[in-house]
Parts: sequence; C-alpha cells; structure tokens
Amino acid sequence: MVLVKEVHRQILRMSYQGEASNFVEVLEGLSRVLERDVLPLSQAIDGKGSGIDAPRKALFKAGLCQMPFPSAYRGMGFPFSIYALAMELTGYADASIAMSMGIHNTVSEGVSRFGNEIQRKTFVPDLISGGVLAAFSLTEASSGSDAKTLKTRATRSGKDYVLQGSKTFITNAGEADVYLVFASAAGGPSAFIVKKRTEGVSFGEDMPKLGMRGSRTSEVVFRDCRVDAANMVGEEGKGLEYVKQMLNSSRIVMAAICVGIAQHAYDLAIRYSVDREISGNAVSDFQITKEKIADMITEINAARHLYFAAARLKDMDSDYSSEAAQAKLFASEVSARVCDRAIQIFGGYGYTNADVHRHWRDARLLTIGEGTSEILRLLVARKELAKLR
Amino acid sequence: MNVIVCVKHAFDEFELKADESGNPKFQNAQMKMSTFDRNAVEEAVRIREARGGSTAVMTLGVADARKSLREALAMGIDRGYIITANPDDHDALTTSYFLARAIGKIGGFDLVICAEGASDTYHGQVGSMVAAWSGLPHLAYARRLELQDGQVVCEEAFEDRIEVARARLPAVVSVVSEINEARYPTLLQIMQASKKPIDEIGLDSLASTGMPQRVVEVHEIKGQTMKRKGIVFEGSSEESAVKLVDALRKEGVLKN
Repeated sequence: MVLVKEVHRQILRMSYQGEASNFVEVLEGLSRVLERDVLPLSQAIDGKGSGIDAPRKALFKAGLCQMPFPSAYRGMGFPFSIYALAMELTGYADASIAMSMGIHNTVSEGVSRFGNEIQRKTFVPDLISGGVLAAFSLTEASSGSDAKTLKTRATRSGKDYVLQGSKTFITNAGEADVYLVFASAAGGPSAFIVKKRTEGVSFGEDMPKLGMRGSRTSEVVFRDCRVDAANMVGEEGKGLEYVKQMLNSSRIVMAAICVGIAQHAYDLAIRYSVDREISGNAVSDFQITKEKIADMITEINAARHLYFAAARLKDMDSDYSSEAAQAKLFASEVSARVCDRAIQIFGGYGYTNADVHRHWRDARLLTIGEGTSEILRLLVARKELAKLR
Repeated sequence: MNVIVCVKHAFDEFELKADESGNPKFQNAQMKMSTFDRNAVEEAVRIREARGGSTAVMTLGVADARKSLREALAMGIDRGYIITANPDDHDALTTSYFLARAIGKIGGFDLVICAEGASDTYHGQVGSMVAAWSGLPHLAYARRLELQDGQVVCEEAFEDRIEVARARLPAVVSVVSEINEARYPTLLQIMQASKKPIDEIGLDSLASTGMPQRVVEVHEIKGQTMKRKGIVFEGSSEESAVKLVDALRKEGVLKN
C-alpha cells in the first residue's frame, strides 16, 4: 500500500515549492515506519482491543510527536501542516494509535503554549519524545466538552489545590503518566497537570467501544486529590480559553486522521471493485460503482484540502478556529460516509470482514469526539453570523 | 576508519505493477534505495559510530538518484557522491568501473561496502567488479564483518557453508541482509539529511584510456507467471482432507 500519494506531493508543492521534496521524504520516511511497525498489527489491534504500546513507541521514536515543537524543547520545528499530513498517514495505518498520539500531543501543545518555562522544560521534551504519555481530561458525564459547566472542583488548600470529581471518555486513561485536568477553581475553569501516581486518582474499566478499539478509554476519578499549585498550567480562570485553543488545534489533527481512515477504506474498496467479478463483470465496470468511486475520492480530497488549509492558517498565526471546526466537521462526516460506501462496494464481505468494517467503526467516533458535528455546526454558524454584525 | 558505500537507486520491487501479460511496467515506477543497500549503509554507520572516521555514499545515476543518497545520509552517512550518468546506458562492468575510478579519485577510503546485489535486478556483480578495477581484495556475502589490525575479517555466507575470510585493508566487502537490521532514520534526521553535502562527479572526469565499453544490454524484462491448479475439494473437512492427501501423493509431494 502506498501511503504517500501524488495528492500529498501536489499539496506540498502548492504550499512549499522548493522545500516540498524534503517534506515528501519526511512523510515517506514516516510511511516506512508505519508500514513496518504499525500497518501489519492494525487488524489484530482492532480484534484484541489492545496492543498499541509497541507501535506507538516506534512512532514516538521516529519523532512523530516532536514534529511541530521548537528545537528548544527537543522538537523538530516542522510546520503544523506537515505534522497534520503525518497524522493523516498515521490514521491511515491505525486510527486508534493516531487518536491516542494526537490527543497526547494536544496536551503537549497545551503545556507548551500555556505553561510556564519550568513546566515547559519539565514536561514538553518528555511528552513529545514519548517518555511520558498524556491524557486530555476535560469531558464530564453531565457537561460533554463544555468547560464552562465543569463539576470537577479545584479548591485551594495551602500550597495545593484539592481536586474532587470525575472525567469520562478519557483517551489514554489509565495508561497515561500525566493528565491535563480541567476543573473549576474559585477564579473559574483552570488546568492542572496531575501525575498518574498522585494519591486520590483512580481509573474506571476500559470502556468497550464500537471502534478505535486499540486506544484505552475510561473514567478518571479524583477524590481528595492534592495537586501542587505549581502544577497549575497558565492562570487560574483561563482554562476555558486554553481549552478552546487546544481544541482548535486538535480538530485539525482529528480531521487529518478522518481523511487517513477514509483513504484506507477507499483504497481497499477500489482495489476490490477491480478484482471482484460479478456475472463476468468487474464490480468497477458498473456505472453505479463508478459513481461511488468518484464521490468517495472527491470528498476525501476536499476534506484533505480543508484540513490542510486550516493547518496552513495556523502556521501563519492567522485565526483558524472556524476553518478547523469546518475541517473536522466535514472530514468526520466524509470519513463515515466513505467507509460506509466501502462496505457497500464489498457487499456481504464488507459486513463480515473486520478489515473492511473496522474503518467505518473507527470513523464513527469522530463525528462525536473533540466536538460533535452538532456543536461544530453551531460554532461555524456563529462565526459566520458574527461577520454580519 | 573511512568507509564508502556504493548504492543503487533501484525500482521499488514492492510497488512494481504488471501489464496484462504479466510483465513489469517500469514507466513512472517508484524508485528507492535498493533494499539490501540499507544493510550496507547500516554497517558503515555502525563502523563509524564504533571507531570514528568518516562515511560516504556513492551512486551512479540521474538527479532522482539523489533521493537514495539522502536516505543514506539520513541514516547517518556523512556525505554523498553522485556520478551523473544515465544508468540505462551502463551495465555492471561500466558502472563498477566508474564507481572504482571515483572512489580512487576521492581517495583515503579503508573500506568499500556494497550489498550482495540489487533488490530489483539482483545481478550481484558490481561489488566484485569494483574490487577488481581497484585492485583490492573482495570478501563476498558477508554476514558478519570485523575490523582487526588493518584487516577485515568476514563470515561469508555461501549457500552450503560459512567461510571465515580475512583480507588486508583497503578492501571491498559485499554484505548480505542478515548482517544487521538497518535502522529507520527519525523524521528529523531525514530533514537534516537535505543539508548534508552531495558532490557531483562528471562522467567525463573519470574517463581514461582502457575504459571498458558496455558488454551486456538488457533487451526485455519479462515477468514470470506461475499457473496454479486451483483445485477445490468439495465435501466435509474429513473428506476433503483425504482427497487432498491423495492429490498430493499423485503429484509426488507426499511419498507413500
């Protein structure tokens, strides 16, 4: 399977001209690691619902999470847009690994952008090189991802904050060494770095999921959990702003993963449509299949260009919040639709073969996680209407 | 210890497509550094890491072949050399001649490492020919390489035996893929490789009297197709197993 395609080269040439070939080689280098250490395990990871640790380590070692960070923190200083393309390829190889690492790196970005210099130096190099795994701990049972209505409390007590409450649907929970926890303090929503071994932190059972089975998802519970005030990231009460910015960035990555998932399902389906004969004709000979192929690849490319454009705006320090929301909204729905059509092209074999339907199961999460399609539509519409006022 | 590795920018054997008659389609086919050359590069990098010195990588090819050089540079080689020539105009005899001339011209190398053969054509001739043109000893099929007191000692993996051979340096060694596990460069190393020097060497600057002419010309490359019998045994597993064993006996695969 060729992971780096002509469309990736085109996109890089359009944006980076002379530098494009270097970035192509970087993506090809990543794809060799993905082909050796990730793709061959992906089906078994889905089947067993575990086993992502070794392939995730291989990707950390290659430097996937170091890509968008400055060299002062052992990063590689790549544009975010190149990192987004790399996450697309990772999503192609294994969606649950891509999601685990993408969310992990949202925490790296949060600490890097909003933490103080000590926190940056203490955590960022270890986070981005994979020495420490992180979990983004925002969602609660009663408030979805709405940081304004958090029920988890952070009460000041001497030099500590005491956390009380619980988080749910937390990717990497239990596995992760550190948790970026959002809780309501006296001054408003605030962010705290909480280490796994802190007294008062416990985890729920790994939740059985429709897809993304390789990544661990569970509750994280805080009971009288004392966190040194030095581990508060940024300022008290600014948590909501941090969440917004981190999610903007994360939505580009999630959109990229959606495109990777869709491209994988498409590659399987188009190959099958050529190889599979029905009554003496290849499935691809039928016009109705051609319509599916055309729609699938058009939507995949549209989603790819949309997330890449959002990433380029981020690279240029322009406002990209609406574009990121549009990219994630569109790419997640495209991904589910493309994977659904792939199953249709495979027919009964698509419904019964996990290597086909797992892509649909993986994609299905992403119209929900990191902002549901409904919330993203509201965000996009709000931005549009604000332009008229 | 100064080591130079000769590599080939080869067709990616995993991505080659076949036409309707089963023959490989070379037009617009993907190219990459020959698979076994990665082990040759790895061995050179390991020697430099253990003993210091310098490493270089050399190829004969057109601009696209720089990609293979950069892959070697990303793996840790210090600098690259490209002899600019269309590889289609050369066979093993002339390729090895120009490689040997360029290696001699640059000078200062203790060890030349090649792979046992290229992963696309697998003629396996260039390494020994480079040694012959250079007047250097050649150890082939090395699955283990050690350097001791100005000598290289190799375990040579022939089909039916292992030979331990020793040669004085400078020497040429052709390695087999089991000699090591080639590393995958990090994404940063790939990016940094683009800043390492690659020197161009013009073919004319290597010409001399007594220069060989190409003696082998490949006219056509055909794919080998294997016909399978495609027999399906109907019935229960037990019945099918009996039929399968009978069929295998008939074919002479199973005796008695």
